[in-house]
Amino acid sequence: MNPLQQYQRHLSRRHFFGKTATGIGTAALASLLDRDGNLRAASAPNDVRVPGLPGLPHVAPTAKRVIYLFQNGAPTHVDLFDFKPRLQEMHGQPIPDSVVNGRRFSTMTGDASGKVLLAPIEPFAQHGQSRAWVSSLMPYTAQIADELCFVKSMHTEQINHAPAISFLLSGSEMPGRPTIGAWLNYGLGSETDELPSFVVMTSVSKGTSCGQIFYDFYWGSGFLPSRYQGVKLRGSSEPVLYVANPDGISRQMRRSMLDDIAAINQLKANDFGDPEIATRIAQYEMGFKMQASVPELADLSQESAETLALYGPGVEEPGTFAHNCLMARRLVERGCRFVQLMHAGWDQHGSLTTELYTQCRDTDQSSAALVMDLKRRGLLEDTLVIWGGEFGRTPFLQGDIANRPLWGRDHHPYAFTVWMAGGGVKPGISYGATDELAMDAVEQPVHVHDFQATLMHMLGVDHERLTFKFQGRQFRLTDVHGHVVHGILA
Amino acid sequence: MTRAVQFLQLSFRLTLLVGLLPNPSASALGADIDFAHDIRPLLSENCFFCHGQDEEHREADLRLDTEEGLAQVITAGDHTESELVRRLLSSDPDEAMPPPDSNRHISAAQAELIARWIDEGAEWQTHWAFSKLVAPPIPAQPSDATAPRRNAIDAFVQAKLVESGLSPSPEAERATLIRRLSLDLTGLPPTPAAVAAFVADPDQGAYERVVDRLLDSPAYGQRMAWDWLDAARYADTNGYQGDGERTMWPWRDWVVNAFDKNMPFDQFTVWQLAGDLLPEATDEQKLATGFLRNHMINGEGGRIAEENRIEYNFDMSETTGTVWLGLTMNCCRCHDHKYDPLTNRDYYSLVAYFDQTPVTGAGGNPQTPPLVSWPSAEQKSKDEELKAAINEQRAALALISATVAERPPRPRTKLTDSTLPLCVTGLPEYQEAKQRLDVLQNEQQGLEKQIPKVMVMQDLPTPRKSFMLARGLYSQPTQEVTPAPPAFLPQRASSHGTDEPQNRLALARWIIAPENPLTARVTVNRMWQQFFGIGLVKTSEDFGVQGENPRQLELLNWLAADFRDNGWDVKRLVRLIVTSHTYRQSSRQTPEQAGEDPQNRWLARGSRFRLPSWMLRDQALAASGLLSPIVAGPGVNTYQPSGVWEEATFGKKTYKLGTGEQLYRRSLFIFWRRIVAPTVFFDTATRQTCTVKTARTNTPLQSLLMLNDTTYVEAARTLAQAALRSDASDDTQRLNFAMQRVLARDASPAEQEVLLAALQRNLHLFDAQADPLEILSVGQSPRAGELDAKLHASWTVICLAILNLDETLNHE
Repeated sequence: MNPLQQYQRHLSRRHFFGKTATGIGTAALASLLDRDGNLRAASAPNDVRVPGLPGLPHVAPTAKRVIYLFQNGAPTHVDLFDFKPRLQEMHGQPIPDSVVNGRRFSTMTGDASGKVLLAPIEPFAQHGQSRAWVSSLMPYTAQIADELCFVKSMHTEQINHAPAISFLLSGSEMPGRPTIGAWLNYGLGSETDELPSFVVMTSVSKGTSCGQIFYDFYWGSGFLPSRYQGVKLRGSSEPVLYVANPDGISRQMRRSMLDDIAAINQLKANDFGDPEIATRIAQYEMGFKMQASVPELADLSQESAETLALYGPGVEEPGTFAHNCLMARRLVERGCRFVQLMHAGWDQHGSLTTELYTQCRDTDQSSAALVMDLKRRGLLEDTLVIWGGEFGRTPFLQGDIANRPLWGRDHHPYAFTVWMAGGGVKPGISYGATDELAMDAVEQPVHVHDFQATLMHMLGVDHERLTFKFQGRQFRLTDVHGHVVHGILA
Repeated sequence: MTRAVQFLQLSFRLTLLVGLLPNPSASALGADIDFAHDIRPLLSENCFFCHGQDEEHREADLRLDTEEGLAQVITAGDHTESELVRRLLSSDPDEAMPPPDSNRHISAAQAELIARWIDEGAEWQTHWAFSKLVAPPIPAQPSDATAPRRNAIDAFVQAKLVESGLSPSPEAERATLIRRLSLDLTGLPPTPAAVAAFVADPDQGAYERVVDRLLDSPAYGQRMAWDWLDAARYADTNGYQGDGERTMWPWRDWVVNAFDKNMPFDQFTVWQLAGDLLPEATDEQKLATGFLRNHMINGEGGRIAEENRIEYNFDMSETTGTVWLGLTMNCCRCHDHKYDPLTNRDYYSLVAYFDQTPVTGAGGNPQTPPLVSWPSAEQKSKDEELKAAINEQRAALALISATVAERPPRPRTKLTDSTLPLCVTGLPEYQEAKQRLDVLQNEQQGLEKQIPKVMVMQDLPTPRKSFMLARGLYSQPTQEVTPAPPAFLPQRASSHGTDEPQNRLALARWIIAPENPLTARVTVNRMWQQFFGIGLVKTSEDFGVQGENPRQLELLNWLAADFRDNGWDVKRLVRLIVTSHTYRQSSRQTPEQAGEDPQNRWLARGSRFRLPSWMLRDQALAASGLLSPIVAGPGVNTYQPSGVWEEATFGKKTYKLGTGEQLYRRSLFIFWRRIVAPTVFFDTATRQTCTVKTARTNTPLQSLLMLNDTTYVEAARTLAQAALRSDASDDTQRLNFAMQRVLARDASPAEQEVLLAALQRNLHLFDAQADPLEILSVGQSPRAGELDAKLHASWTVICLAILNLDETLNHE
């Protein structure tokens, strides 16, 4: 976006708030004059939603919102989705040098030549009309195979977790760029004035040995104004910091107090003419609304027993992946545009035969439940659900072939699988392919920037045109790369 | 078609365009077109990406960022003979520039401007920020001037203002002024006594006396230090996984003292960049170089040490580039700068200065050497005392040994490894003395461990060879480079001898050399930003060609030259700014100003902007009387909702709340965990990399924090308690007691009406809806038990509202 547009947007935001918020102030004043010592209803309804940029969406969107089930640590494409009979045949044999080809792997593997190939640890079967291959580790996902689009030819440039996650979510391996959710929030505005538009929730499987930290730059706004950054809901009884009134302050007391503050602020606005005061009044109003909407969001008492059972064990326990999946549905129902769930623990360097089972058990059922639940509520058609990590895992073994309990796979940037559902994605297909050893994305490869461009496209955004000027140049999510993958669009 | 016909058509189209221009800018109509102001920004934005200095990506071997390059496509004096204009106006997609698919665009009006600039002679100018810094003459005062002209700042601002059609605003009310001034210079609100004295002081110099008093207050250094800490990415932990604790707070305290003592900015610079290299460097000078070592440290296992070390070097170079030169250097890690005349080689030549330390990049110990010991005065005297006692005891031992040696030898049964015969060490007097020595030595070693060790700079005895790195990768060195400042900037004229080594000290001296066009401009601009909320150059992080062209360039140049030529005297500069009429104006907006100048770039009024969150906290603590007097030492933990650290670190870091006065220390002294900053702050720098400009947003989450955080609720209840215990005789006086402490003024009749009605309402609601003791139990400070709980709780709600008024949140 050029500076003129930025400026115009600023003006329109001010104008917007100026208009609506004056309304609040006046309402507050009027109610003040009427006050007779009794409590009264809240002020007139008002709208404090953040508007999108003029001219957006660029194209007709197929998705209005996104739920990104981000799997931190890199799930093993080889064991879960990318079935290779040849790998089974070559189990225990050294990887051919022609395949390694002097490529860089993590410092844990170093030179990959001579490493031993490892067959998937559990059997695969084909599912649904689409005949999609899914491992028996993922029985629930297998059941919804016909809703899913498996992109099997994803590849990235990064080999370590934090840089790769940052690359996927912000387009740069270095922290400090806006993430996808922030860009969308900035470009498209928000659909709710009661909840944040970009929400993040994190979880980790119990007993996992991984020590990955959820860095806040995974949902940062970079150089975009900080109002566009993701708001992290905490896995506790108070999901948003400071959302609860202090002890001893009732909601009615708070309501009246906000009216008093608004009345005095309005006097100030009349005297000083600063439109930012109107924005302040509006933001205090939105804070008040959030005080009601956040507990309402977190209150699962109206969910049916059947629905709770659908998401599986732990759904009622804040901080679990199952709970977060249900919260994600509740968030998009309430107008949230981008929900980013991050589940850590997929880093099976030496725990393929142990922790991988826990990891699948903790995510498989609720991921599938979310898709089904969205579908039966009519939300799936314009909600894009994405499931995947930052890279894949090596088809070859990390560890000792004779020591099965400690089998592992190392980081693998050259190929991995991501599935998507809803939001204008073709259901029941597999797109792209790796070679016979699941080593390289060879057919219809999808680079991280292509994936980002496609995601933006589904939301109606031309990734080349949503830009922001910072430190003297125009930045965008996809840097100077990225092509929309039309083959996966319905 | 012949060229002549083409030109004719072009001229015709241009003529049409001029006629069609809806609102031609002033410069497009009358006055001469200014290359730096009107033309270069257009070329930079739309052309430099492919026709700039980056050789790798240069198209058609054409540069438009240099005078020579541009000359190839223009004919001065005749746009019709200029290929540049032809390309800009071409409708042939193969010829049109910028290419249609480039996502860049030059409008017809802009092309016309370029054509006119060519017709007027196509005069080329150096980018304003890189040109020689000379103080421009101070504009003369027009005869019809209405506003006061207190110093040169006003002369420049008011002269410029004539162009805008706006008029200067009158001076703000005195109460507003002293609050503005106190917050700006100390980060704390004025005391009611100070307000009363100033409001009642009829003397002409009353304002200046307040300024001087505040500049001399120790709180001044605490206020000034904050922005410097943001720039220096100061934190109390290393960052990254593990996020180990470090001990850099002695450096932070040094910064506070340096501002308080008004250390000249050139000295402040040299000490922090190269204090260790000064002749006979003192520990204090070494401590100052902690500035550079404030970068994050990656202690993850499996990381390659050399890769870390290179990252640290990059961070030090880029921080230096941003803080002193206002240059965005980081793109040059991989290639020449797309817009500024900075090359890939310049980048690595700068890095080479920082590439000389013995730091290895290996993780592990959070305090990675080189270190300097920084004992407190107490520790120092205790250490000296212990060392003296140890020496004494050693002497005593020696004496015993000597005495024994002189005795006639006894028959020996056995010889030990010890230099002394067994018979001596076996003597009771010897053993006693030895025991005393051991105790002393243990105590001294214990003390030694407690003495803070701060990470500082030091260079290797033999310079390390430094290389350019392909794509910034540690493992891909290419050509060797030697330390040097960016080649396009002037060299230092004065010298410390021809054999002066090119080390950090030489770099620091180059940075503060009078020939350097950037340092003074960048510094003065940051200072302006601190007091006006926005710099004269809005892009305080970027003074390159893509940065903002300052409307008040003459003022910026004058201030910068004045600062440089008067001993880099920071307090003098601050005094100059805050005593100007420009600063003292009322921040009321007329509808005309709101329409013409919403951001107040013409400076026709005082600045109004939300105070930084750290200052809001200090303001609340000071107004309520909770503020701790302790202003130094290790960071402390203040109120924070439970579980924030634990959740962010999978339970590896446990938050231990401070006790007693620690909860009420100034924000500057709060422990800063890098991966999860204190939640009581918002819109702060991340303290992960250098930040010279923080965002100022207005969000609902901020309102929830201000209304619900323990810090503010406790401050409200303490303020209420003070009002109730004061000698105020009625509710109006009590209300004014609180208003005075927060806003330096009494409540207006309208505000009284609102808040006193609220008081009555709250008195009804407490008990009916809530136990008043609950709100009175928020926070750890004791409650005055003799006060009626319902009354105290009701006043607490009023005070919390006062702490949340827009005026309270703002620099008025």
